Amino acid sequence: MESAIKTVVTTFLSSTRGKENLDGKSFKKLVERQLGGIMEDTNSSSAIKEMQRGLDENSDGKISFQEYLTLIGYVANSLSQSKSGSNADAS
Amino acid sequence: MPSELENAMESLIKVFHRYASKEGRTGTLNRRELRELMENELSNFLKSQKDPAAVDKIMKDLDTNGDGQVDFEEFVSLVVGLSIACEQCYQMHMKKKSLGPL
Repeated sequence: MESAIKTVVTTFLSSTRGKENLDGKSFKKLVERQLGGIMEDTNSSSAIKEMQRGLDENSDGKISFQEYLTLIGYVANSLSQSKSGSNADAS
Repeated sequence: MPSELENAMESLIKVFHRYASKEGRTGTLNRRELRELMENELSNFLKSQKDPAAVDKIMKDLDTNGDGQVDFEEFVSLVVGLSIACEQCYQMHMKKKSLGPL
């Protein structure tokens, strides 16, 4: 579990290319490369732009680490729900 | 093939459900399950699992709906908190490195 958390952190840090936040381009790259398997529309630039706007709470046009974690939490939650859906039926 | 980040999320979900299914309600962690998870999975990140008061406090902090259980959504807050701590630690480490030996 600790290595999973490290991966979450280092994925962000290695995508910012030395800056503090992700700009539009690096965010797009991160989503395309790292989330293509579990999210839909990762090949659509407009969908990624829209998602970026949704995450960008302080509207500075960039995705901060906190905002990135919001996305991770959201994706993990929906992933967990779709997985436990079948378990809930069994219990 | 799943990416590194996708594998990481997958393993976080698996860890949660492995402990959540041990006893009581299967989709949530009770206090004992949370403590076991912290003891076995976060022994390097957290030292407070040995302290029952600290476990109580973490449990209380995470349990936002106050049902005495930690569901996956509440567990995500723990992951987020640890990630933030981990990031700060990492940044400090990088800064030290770039300054070179003092």
